[in-house]
Amino acid sequence: MKRLNRLMLALAAVCLLAAPALADTLKVGVQAPITGSYANEGQGIDNGVRLLAEQINAKGGVLGKKIEVITCDDQGTAMAAAICAKDLVNQGVKMVIGSYTSTCAEAAQKTYFDAGVIQTSDGTADSLTEKGYWTFLRNSFPNSAEAEFAANYMVKVKKYKRIVIISDFSTYADGLANATEAAVKKLGGNVVSRDKIKADSQNFTPVLTRIKAKNPDVIFFAGYYTDGGQLRAQQVALGIKADFIGGDANDNPDFAKLAGSAAKGAYIVNVPSPDVLPYDIAKSFIAAYKKKYGIMPASIWGLMNIDGMRAIIHGMEQTKSFDTKKVVEYLKNMKEPLPGITGPIAFAEDGNRKGGSYVVKMIQADGSYKHVYVQ
Amino acid sequence: MDIFLQQLANGLTIGSMFALVALGYTMVYGVMRLINFAHGDLVAASAFVGLTIYTQVMGQATSLAAVIAIFLLTAGVMACVGVLLERLAYRPLRTAPRLSAVVSALGASLVIQNGVMLIWGPQMRIFPELVPQVYYTFGGVVISLMQVIILVLSLVLMIALYLFVEKTRMGAAIRAASIDQDAARLMGINVNQIIVLIFVIGSSLGAVGGLFIGLYYRGITFNMGWQYGLYAFIAAIIGGIGNIPGAMLGGMLLGLFNAFIAGYVSSTWADAFTFILLIVILIVRPTGILGERVAEKV
Repeated sequence: MKRLNRLMLALAAVCLLAAPALADTLKVGVQAPITGSYANEGQGIDNGVRLLAEQINAKGGVLGKKIEVITCDDQGTAMAAAICAKDLVNQGVKMVIGSYTSTCAEAAQKTYFDAGVIQTSDGTADSLTEKGYWTFLRNSFPNSAEAEFAANYMVKVKKYKRIVIISDFSTYADGLANATEAAVKKLGGNVVSRDKIKADSQNFTPVLTRIKAKNPDVIFFAGYYTDGGQLRAQQVALGIKADFIGGDANDNPDFAKLAGSAAKGAYIVNVPSPDVLPYDIAKSFIAAYKKKYGIMPASIWGLMNIDGMRAIIHGMEQTKSFDTKKVVEYLKNMKEPLPGITGPIAFAEDGNRKGGSYVVKMIQADGSYKHVYVQ
Repeated sequence: MDIFLQQLANGLTIGSMFALVALGYTMVYGVMRLINFAHGDLVAASAFVGLTIYTQVMGQATSLAAVIAIFLLTAGVMACVGVLLERLAYRPLRTAPRLSAVVSALGASLVIQNGVMLIWGPQMRIFPELVPQVYYTFGGVVISLMQVIILVLSLVLMIALYLFVEKTRMGAAIRAASIDQDAARLMGINVNQIIVLIFVIGSSLGAVGGLFIGLYYRGITFNMGWQYGLYAFIAAIIGGIGNIPGAMLGGMLLGLFNAFIAGYVSSTWADAFTFILLIVILIVRPTGILGERVAEKV
């Protein structure tokens, strides 16, 4: 009997020692394209999450737990994203930040939903919030909002008569282009051509040559900056006089570098850039980011994701719980939005971020932006 | 008509890039009966090497002399890489079954691709605007200075290569080695030297192609070699693999075909039609348009 007691005591001691070790950290997953075409953005998200984790840990962590960041590279492809989702869930994360592209966010959604892991992504495709997964919180604004803004700008403000819309085949780009086409038609605008290009195929002159014959006033490109910059360069090279308006994913410094001297005068529709964010919290975070990594955040998208992460942690602190269901419940019913880096952040019942404000920026000769139209 | 001519110009530009790369495949195949799958990745690597030479060696100079120096230095570096590739990946397997050499080629392709990723990083790198954006308008057709340079320089290089192979003693040795390596050796030709020469020429032409891609499209990624390699490989097969004029013709045809399909049908279908074209040509003329010349192949 004595022996058994001693054994029990030993077991209890082991349990006591092991328990804090097991539940010591709050695991935060990052699912982002660390390599591949959008590596620039993916690394920006990862850098931002690690910086925020460092800041929170320095203040004692979340409800006494330190944050541990686990990064999984989804390479910007749906297949790798699905694998990442399983991997992160198996490692026991409570929340996942990412991914950058809607395609990757969408491929991983169901796995997080099944595991009850909160996912927050900057993906703007409307389909992301249409499935009714309570685990998904969008930290950017949906395509439909941008499409209406862009259509209004083209039809009512600039009064373009002949509009061409181009996209690639990704969830985000195709969704934005379709929504924009519908919104333009609703406003009585004239879409003379709706074309699709293959992302990363570099040679867009055949499509542009065909578009040239339609004599457009404007080319609206819903797609990513890697293609957008080249599309703009080739448009100018072919002598197509039309204006160029890029959707939000063209908002990356590499767009102007790729387009070179052709970048001047191109418009980009997006939420305001990081460097003009008026909020104090934005200024201090960006300063810390620059100090740690020596560069500006890649774009607004990384900061949107950071706001998503801040909101979830805020939810955990307010509910004093790591129960993801409770946290999401709280975030969707907050009375006051949380002040964020990219503006006040609060979520609607369907997981969309509330609000949304867009601007039109024009690229200047030196590659910098000038805000030319504000909603 | 304007559209047709514009697509023609587009097609010839991209076609000459395909042709330059296709020459590397076809020359190696001619002598060694080996598809050098690593060639496409050498092309991608040369764009990165060129970029590094521009920023590190040339100190970002943009004069004409600097541009010429970038081309020459890159071609030189890539020729060395090509020779090294042959020495490390292919020569030890010269007498091994052909499948081993093909597997070795695929392995080398992955090594080069991942090497580029490790050295220059996974993100897209951007080429400087070395050639001023000058455009010439003929009627409704616009041709840029860069397109003219690509077309003229490729044509000059291809003619020079053709004359070299057909008119010089070295060229005769290459042709002899491609007909029968053993007989060529008996005639006193150093076949090893010929193979090294083939890799030097093929890799430097590929380097020029890689620089064209960088200068024309501006954005380069570590994995782009796969796409260009595949297209150039198809071009070589269409023209008749092992046949030098065939590679040039195949490249041009493929470029034009791609431009017209993308322009008149849909860019979505350009790839699918390219492979349909390949299948049709392989059914109708299994040896390609110009055919494997039975007597002489290089």
